[in-house]
Parts: sequence; structure tokens; C-alpha cells
Amino acid sequence: MDKKKAVRDYHRNLAVTAGIILLIFIAIPIFVKSPYILNVFVLVFYMSTLSMAWNLLGGMTGQNSLGHAAYMGLGAYASCLLVVRTGINPWLSAVAGMVAVAVVAGVIFYPCFILRGPYFTLVSIAFGEAIRQFIINSEFFGRASGVGLPYGKDSWIDFRFGSKVPYYYVGLAMMILIYAFMKKIERSKIGYALKTIREDEDAAAAIGINPIKYKIMAVVISAMVAALVGFFYASYIRYIDPELMIQAKSTEAVLPAIVGGAAFVEGPIIGGLIMIPLSEFLRATYSAILPGINMLMYAVVLLVVIRFRPAGILGWYMNSRAKQFVDERILKKPSVEVIEEVEMAGGR
Amino acid sequence: MSDTPIIEVSHITKRFKGLTAVKDVSFTIKRGAITGMIGPNGAGKSTTFNMICGYYPPTEGKIFYDGKDITDKKAYDYTNMKVSRTFQIMKPLKNLSVLDNVVASAWFGHAAAKNERQAREKAMEVLQFTGLYEKRHVLSKDMGTPDQKRLEMARALATSPQLLFLDENMAGLNPAETEEAIKLIRRINESGVTIFLIEHIMQAVVSLCEEVIVLHHGEKIAVGTPDEVMNDPYVMEVYLGVKKEDADA
Amino acid sequence: MSTFLQACVNGLLMGGFYSLMGMGQNVIFGVMKIVNFCHGEMLMVGMYLTFVLYTFFGIDPYLSVPIVAVVMFLFGALIQHTLITPSLGTKSFTNLLFLTVGLGLLLSNGALVIFGSTYYTINTPYSQTYINLGPVTMALPRLISFGVLVVISSALFAFLKYTTTGKQIRAVSQNPVGAEVVGINVKSIYILTYGIGVALAGVAGSLLTGFYTIFPTAGASFGFRALIVVVVGGLGSIPGAFLAGIFLGLLETMVALFISPSYSDLIVFVTFIVILVVRQTIIARRR
Repeated sequence: MDKKKAVRDYHRNLAVTAGIILLIFIAIPIFVKSPYILNVFVLVFYMSTLSMAWNLLGGMTGQNSLGHAAYMGLGAYASCLLVVRTGINPWLSAVAGMVAVAVVAGVIFYPCFILRGPYFTLVSIAFGEAIRQFIINSEFFGRASGVGLPYGKDSWIDFRFGSKVPYYYVGLAMMILIYAFMKKIERSKIGYALKTIREDEDAAAAIGINPIKYKIMAVVISAMVAALVGFFYASYIRYIDPELMIQAKSTEAVLPAIVGGAAFVEGPIIGGLIMIPLSEFLRATYSAILPGINMLMYAVVLLVVIRFRPAGILGWYMNSRAKQFVDERILKKPSVEVIEEVEMAGGR
Repeated sequence: MSDTPIIEVSHITKRFKGLTAVKDVSFTIKRGAITGMIGPNGAGKSTTFNMICGYYPPTEGKIFYDGKDITDKKAYDYTNMKVSRTFQIMKPLKNLSVLDNVVASAWFGHAAAKNERQAREKAMEVLQFTGLYEKRHVLSKDMGTPDQKRLEMARALATSPQLLFLDENMAGLNPAETEEAIKLIRRINESGVTIFLIEHIMQAVVSLCEEVIVLHHGEKIAVGTPDEVMNDPYVMEVYLGVKKEDADA
Repeated sequence: MSTFLQACVNGLLMGGFYSLMGMGQNVIFGVMKIVNFCHGEMLMVGMYLTFVLYTFFGIDPYLSVPIVAVVMFLFGALIQHTLITPSLGTKSFTNLLFLTVGLGLLLSNGALVIFGSTYYTINTPYSQTYINLGPVTMALPRLISFGVLVVISSALFAFLKYTTTGKQIRAVSQNPVGAEVVGINVKSIYILTYGIGVALAGVAGSLLTGFYTIFPTAGASFGFRALIVVVVGGLGSIPGAFLAGIFLGLLETMVALFISPSYSDLIVFVTFIVILVVRQTIIARRR
């Protein structure tokens, strides 16, 4: 049948396009040897992942956290301290770190779920700052001077390399996995619950969604992903200190999502791919003469996007001619009705 | 089982900081029927409605559903008990398509969908039933009032209720749209759903309801068939501002 | 005992600044229901403005207060008109939030680009003058600043309470639609409100320069404390903001005195979380 074939072709085209993009990313380290450029990519991968973590809470659930650097920092600290103090394997410490952060987010943060709108944002800032201040004052956490991870031979078991290439691939894998995970959530029961809560908490309760329960889920998942990024960051930089958790870092975690389009799971990745290389280029080129120029540019882009393209780059793309062109000429996308008809008939 | 009323409201009172909005109101909702509640503005209709829906608890009194005490149930427990509601001020999920609005509901309630496919199938069915099928890909914020009111009902129906609460579902509609809404409500009722509604539009109440409860100043002043209630001297006084004798004279 | 009294006085003097910052934030939050996340940066801009006026034109920091107030008012009005009002229309709370966050980034990094990360101070002939009151010593600049900000706070209170414009602002904060219906131009009230809020932050910055170093992120801690003041003092309440600011200043110095200076931030944030959660829980229960 024609329609079936059209839909099958469309899915094949989608898969081929995704495959080509993936191949390009896999091939980059083969052709690009500059550690500086590879570092920019690693940065893109983990910052986009952190931004996806934020976006689950901010974009999908409508709870604007400005404390995600604290979750990332806690994850980094938990896994680092475990490695340094107990000598367990770093990969295990990553899991332990995620669990620890989930507990902190779900239990200590629990009373804060009653807060809505701006109050939630305020408490997330205060919570993040309180954690940072606690670490600065704690001998166990190494106070303001931070914690370093041991150096040594390259090893996959210890997740330790002199070259940036392994970090590139692990970072890429992390970003893709988290993307797939977020995409899955978006189309699941949880995703619909979170989106309903974002639009209206009373309406959510009326159809049987317990807002508090799902908000806790969102915060816990989001914090765990942030903790994973923290683990990656610590293993990559091999040194962490409380500066990691300052307010500005939480803001940096949000920017890719807002610029890319917070309503889309892809938003943080698109935003990260565009903004971070730009920011790093400016930092490398001008920071000696004009410190702060990269963040200044970041701020200008953010303001321009919010003022003129409030739905972000992807939101703008979705209603653009470019998308029409890509859908019709490259992906050969059939009409929504046709896809729906074929899917409902079970002929995928 | 079928003798017990589906809802029994027993002596409920609600006070807000010393202001008594609802005072010692009792009534029952008959299984399978359409029951209406009317009353002038500020009569306590919405407050009563919100208490029955678990939006907030009554200060005093009890509410029974199928003979079970549900006074302290939370709003989000209701769809699991096969009860669903709409809002007077429509609460569409603005940035989602009509289809996604209804899919979201289909994931919840006592007959919640197990997977995405089931949720979509259920949603499509409800959209066809409520006449929104053609508009399923429109963003709900881009629709007019009549369609948003319909969407309110569609979202409530997607949780497969046996009892549906409608809060002023026809306010703001013109006569033709009201007629459409009346037909839809009747069809819902004929499919086996008990309905309790608050309404300002008398035409709708008279043509739909088997029994009508009248509230005034937070108290129940009359109950009966639409005819009985409309001819009640006190109700006429409240609604028309005339005493029965004056009207006769 | 004398250290305790000294700490009280220091807390009081610092608390005055938190009050002033909180009042500006309170007016903005009260009227537009948005949190101004660049409030601290506005204070920083006020500081640099005072610094420039002093260094290049030789204007005394206290004499520059009215100039800073006017300039900052116009700056705030411009931002409101060009950026915030158009975004209010989209009704996206997330965007509004990050609009002010973005403005904060713009201002602090703008200052970094223009002035570098050097710490500046303003040394006036009287900046090293101290006054002894019994066992308590006070730097003259702090005392003058406190006096000025008490006057400004009272003036703001009187303005909102007794003038027609003040009443219009309060009307909009209670019900923008109703205010529009009775003929109040809500958009100009928004411009006025944001201008006033920003001017108050700028003035606080100006008053700080007498005894505080000037650097690009100088406003951050004041910005967050302004939010604490709003939440603790109660929405829309000027006297509440004043008391909350003083309370916060005292809390900080008491923690520093009795526990350790390095714990004062931690305690401030934890206290804030507890107050916020307890208050909202009570409000939710009451419903």
C-alpha cells in the first residue's frame, strides 16, 4: 500500500539522517587532532546533558530551577570523595553519587515541593547556595580548596586518560543516552503528567495526577542526570572545588535549553552546539584583553532570543520555511494524517 | 447497590475566615440521571461543587460516594474512583494539541492506558464522540470558547468516568452552541454516565435535568423536578425578585 | 557586651541596605509578579556610576545619589519598555525569569569588559572618620548612608500610600485588569514601577560606595538578600521589607559573632528556606 510505504520511507530517511549526523560526530576525533577543539566538543556534550537535565524540570514540568550546579557539584563530590577516601572504582562511584544526589533531592528537598512558581526558583537558589556554603565549611569535603582525583596511567577501569579522545566518546555516548532517555520520558505517562502539571496544576489533579508525586519524580531524575554530569566533569577535569556550584554555573546550565528551545527535548543540544563553541571561541580569542566578553555575548544572544524568538531556535525552526524544505525534500515526510492512519492501523 | 444514591451530601458547611459560603446543605445525586444545581450569583454553587470534587474539604459534614465516605479524598484520587470534573474557567493545556490534551487524560484514572498506543486510541475515540476529531492537531489555546468547553468535557471523559461533574459548561455560548452542548451532554448521559451540573442557562437545566437543587445564600431552598422548582414561590422570589402574590396580581 | 552592641549596630547599618534593596524588589514583584533577578546587578551599576562621577567629575558620592537615582530610573524605564513589557505579553514565566537573569549576566559581564576585575574604592576626606557613641564605634559613611536610606524608605512609603500615582501602583498590583478598566494606564505604571525599583537599587549601590569595594559581581549577594527580604517581609509591605532587612542584617552579624563568620551565609540561606517552606505550608493548609 502506498501510504504504508510513504511512512516507511519517511522513517527510513529519518534514521539515515540521524545515522549520518552520528557518523560525523564519531569521525570528528579521527580528523581533528587539536586538544583545544576536542575540549570544546567535550564541553558541548556535558553542558548539553546538564541542560537536558534542567529541561526535564524547567521546560517539561515548568519548575524553573536555578540550583542545578549544586546537583552537579554534589554528584561530582560524592563520586570523587568515594574514589579518594575508599578507593572504589570510579564507575561504581558514579552510581553511588547519583543515588546520593537522588536521596538529597528527594528527601531534603521534599518540603520545598509545596512551593510554586517564583518561590520554587528562589528556594532552588537558596538550596544550592546552602549546599555550597556547607561544603566550604566542611573539613570532610575539603573546604574551599576542593578535592583532586589521582593521576596515573591511562585506564578504562579508572576512567583516566591523558588524551581527550576517550572523554570525547564517553561524553558523546552520555549525551545520546540521556537524549534517548528524555525522549522516552516525553512520550510516556510521566511525560504527559509533567506537561499537564506545567500547563495547570489544578487541571492535572482533576484528571488524577498527584502533582507533588510527579514533581518529586522530575526533580529526582533531573538531579540524578546532573550528578552523572558531575561525575563526568570530575573525571575529566580531575579536580573539583566549591566554585563549581556558584550561581553563575546554574545559570550556564539553563542557557542552552532556553536558546535552543525549552519546549523541545532537542533544545538543549541545539542550544549547546551553537552557544558553547561561540562562547569558547570568544573566550580564547579575547579573554586576555576583554575578560567577560564571552558571557556578555551569551547574555546578548539570550536576550535577543527571548525578545524576538521566545520559543528558542527550534521553536523558530518548527514554523520556518527551512523545516518545510527539510520535511518535503530531504525526509519526504507524509502528512500528519497519513502517519497517524498508518500508525493506528498498526502497520509500522 | 443501585438503590443507594451515587452521591450523598450530608450537612456540609464551608466557612472561609468567618464567612459562611455554604451552610448545612444536604442532597443526593441519583444514579444514571442528570441532576442540576442552580442559584443566583454567590449562592455557593461553586463552593459546593468544589467540595464534592475534593478541591477543598468541607468545614463540617460528610460526602458519600456509593455509600463510602469520600470527604477527605484528594482531588487527584477522584478519577481512580471513576469520577471526573470540568472547570468553569477552562483549563486547557494551552501549549499542547487537542489530541495531546486528551491523550494526557487517557493515561490516568481507573482505566488508565497501559501504553502510548492505548492512550492514543482512547483519545481518538473520545475526540470522535465529542466532535473534536477534525481539530485534533490544533493547539488548544488557538481554539474558541465553544471548542475549549468541549475539550474540557473530552478530557474529563478520557478518564472513563461513571460520574461526571460539569461546572457551568455552557456559560458564554450562543443559543445554537448551547443546543449542541445539550445534545452532547445527553449523549454522554445515555452512554451510562451519571451527570451533575451547575448551570446558569435555564433552558439547558429544564431540558436536561431530572432533578434540580436550588441554592440561595449558601442554603438549599428547593429541590424537585425542573417544573416543580420553577413554580416554587420562594424560588420565583429569589430569581425574579417578585413575590408570588405580586406576580399573580 | 560592647562587642555585642557593636555587632548590633553593624547589623542594623547593613540591614538598612537589605531593606532598601528589598523595597525595590518588592515594588516590582508586587506589581508585575515577576522576580527581578538582576536587582543585585542594578546595585552594582549604581556603584560604578557613582565611581565614574567621583573619578571623572569629582562629584562627592553622596551628592551623586540624586543623579544616580534619575539615571537609573531612566535606565529601568527603558529596559521595561523595550524588553520586559513585550515579553509580559507572551505570558511565559520561564522567559520572563531568564530575561532578568540574562540582563544580570549582561550587566555584570559588561562591567567586567569595561572596568576589568579590579577592585575599586572611593576615598573621600571623611571615609576614615569614625564616631564613638559610648562603647560603639561607627564609620561616618555608614552612618550617613543609613540616615539617607531611612529618609528614602519613608519617602517611598508616603509616595505609595498618599499620592495618586502611588495609589495607582497599588491598584495595579492588586488587580491589573480592574485597574485597566477604571482607566489606569497599566503599561506606564509598569514602566514607572520598574524605574523606581531599579532606581532604589542604584541608590543603594551609590550609598554603599563610601565603605564597600566596587567590582563586577559586588551586587550578587545583595540581590539575593533582597529576595529574602521580600519573601520574609511579606509581599507589597514596605514596613515589612524594612523590618525584614534589619532582621537579616542582625541575623548575619549575630551568627558571625556567636558561631563563626564563615557560617553566616549558610545560616542565612537555611533560615530563608525554612521560613519560606513553613509560610507556604501554612497558607496551603488554610485553604
